[in-house]
Amino acid sequence: MANILIAEDERAINDLIKLNLTLVGHKCEQVFDGAAALERALSGEYDLLILDVMLPELSGFEIIGQIKTPVIFVTARVSVEDRLRGLKLGADDYIVKPFEILELVERVRAVLRRTKGEREAFEFDGIRVEFDTRRVYKDGSEVSLKPKEFDLLSAFITNRNLALSREKLIELVWNFDYDGDTRTVDVHVQKLRGKLGITDRLKTVYKMGYRLEI
Amino acid sequence: MKIRFWQKTYILTLILFLVCLNAGIISLTLFTHSKSVRSAEETAGAEEYYIARSFERDLEDMLAAGAEQSPMLLMNSYGNFYAQRGVFLAFKNEAETIFSNLPASIDAARGTIFHKNIDGVRYIVICSEAGGYKLTFAKNVESLDSEFRALTLTYVLTSIVISALLAVLLYFVLRKLSRPLEDLQRTTESIEEGDLSITADESGRDEFALLAHSFNSMIGTIKAQLSALEENAEHKQMLVDNMAHELRTPLTVIRGYADYLERVAVSEEERFAAARYIISEAERLTKMSEILLDTAYIRENPPEMSEVELDEVLRGTVERLSAKARERAVELVCETEEATVRGNALLLSMLFDNLADNALKACAAGGRVVMKCSASRASVEDNGKGMSADELAHVTEPFYRTDKSRSRSEGGVGLGLALCRNIVEAHGANLRFESEKDKGTKIFLDFTT
Repeated sequence: MANILIAEDERAINDLIKLNLTLVGHKCEQVFDGAAALERALSGEYDLLILDVMLPELSGFEIIGQIKTPVIFVTARVSVEDRLRGLKLGADDYIVKPFEILELVERVRAVLRRTKGEREAFEFDGIRVEFDTRRVYKDGSEVSLKPKEFDLLSAFITNRNLALSREKLIELVWNFDYDGDTRTVDVHVQKLRGKLGITDRLKTVYKMGYRLEI
Repeated sequence: MKIRFWQKTYILTLILFLVCLNAGIISLTLFTHSKSVRSAEETAGAEEYYIARSFERDLEDMLAAGAEQSPMLLMNSYGNFYAQRGVFLAFKNEAETIFSNLPASIDAARGTIFHKNIDGVRYIVICSEAGGYKLTFAKNVESLDSEFRALTLTYVLTSIVISALLAVLLYFVLRKLSRPLEDLQRTTESIEEGDLSITADESGRDEFALLAHSFNSMIGTIKAQLSALEENAEHKQMLVDNMAHELRTPLTVIRGYADYLERVAVSEEERFAAARYIISEAERLTKMSEILLDTAYIRENPPEMSEVELDEVLRGTVERLSAKARERAVELVCETEEATVRGNALLLSMLFDNLADNALKACAAGGRVVMKCSASRASVEDNGKGMSADELAHVTEPFYRTDKSRSRSEGGVGLGLALCRNIVEAHGANLRFESEKDKGTKIFLDFTT
């Protein structure tokens, strides 16, 4: 969905970010030092730059001032001072190591939504999901989904290929103020499977929750 | 109320001086007075003697001339004549007073001399014998008293003037003398408030200057200790900061891949790769904690020292690292002389393994690492990539790495030289680096014991 450049000198972490962002549908490119990051970012072909602060040759703080691409800093530095400095320099967001996959995905989504606007429609198995109009079509005809069902589908699409726990889904769809039990999630998942015929795609993950596999 | 030292000194000195001065003046006054009284008495005695003798002579002459004149006439003329000089006379026989112009009646035994106060006027009275009569002589010595009064007045005034002068001079002198002490006191107050930059004035050669000098050297010592403590605390803080940072990378990797394994339907290949990352980062953490524990152990427990053959240690290192050297196509040799130092063989092996390992890593293929030792010096020299002065300054700091990504890819945790430094310190030895970018690095170890 988006073109992302990952600048991180630890190969293990760089790979980790790439793996996860690729899973949820982004196109990623990797660089491992500051000079390469600046050079690639200046080409202007990326929607987002995931930027480590402590890079060899050029630090993230030095790079950010020279580019127009939106930036999310990833860093082990946790002092408030550093956060403020990063944000003041124009970073769109800040992720502190160690981070959760879902946190990374969510922040990437939030920044892209701010900078690029709402996602375009998403299609799979003859199903078309339009995020701006909140309409869903299956084989050309509209399927009527309740608002929470649409939100749930949208959360699965955002985090596709990642297993989401029931608690996480409640947090994402019903927000934190929901205090009903997690069976509500099961009920909604059943409805989605039935209405869209995606039982094979929307899998139950043992002891974990659900995962939309695409 | 606090009485200061100079005030105490001032009051005591002033009292002491005033007592002495006034005692001196009083006794001087009294002595002078009694001397003038005595001399007045002597004069009066002489005068009386002269009057008595002249009267006797005149009386004899008068009797010899046979004049029928009464002795009273003679007495009268004597009395009148001397009265003008402030001397009054009385002549008596056994029964009655024949002549007297005394201001009051005086009766005393013959041969006595005394002072008598009549109507506030002092007289010296002498009773004696003259021509068969009892002669009473009274001389007005009023001047004696007035002289005494004048003298006393002079002395009192002098005493006051001198005392006042002294009080003022003493004040200034003592203030000046006690000034260094007050300065010192102010200095201690500033120091009490935490300002250690201030120093006491050491000018002069007296005890105060000596005190100020000792004081300054005391402050100097305290400052040195404080800054050593600060440096130590700073060093520890840096270690903690760096460690917090270093821990985050393996933690991120472990957490991230575990998260990945949990959430994603991974292929067998991906599962293996993720597990590999987790294991190798966990190993790195283990290694880091081991080195940190070693470092702490060496710091806390002085190692057991014995005679160590340094050349043996170096040959051991070369043996252990020769495989690695071959792998990198770097020549590793040692040129040793027999050398014995006091140390711990195990720690020294660890030290040279580390130094040689670093040297190997600095060399490209075809490089050369030479380890040497002589009497009390060992060295490790390589012709690798070298370090800049800036890198050199940080090289023994925990977690500092000149090439982070390469060090990490080779499994380094950035603690090797920090450990080396601890070993070297435990041996009371001296570690010195010489390095030039792209020319190579030389490390010298000098044993002082």
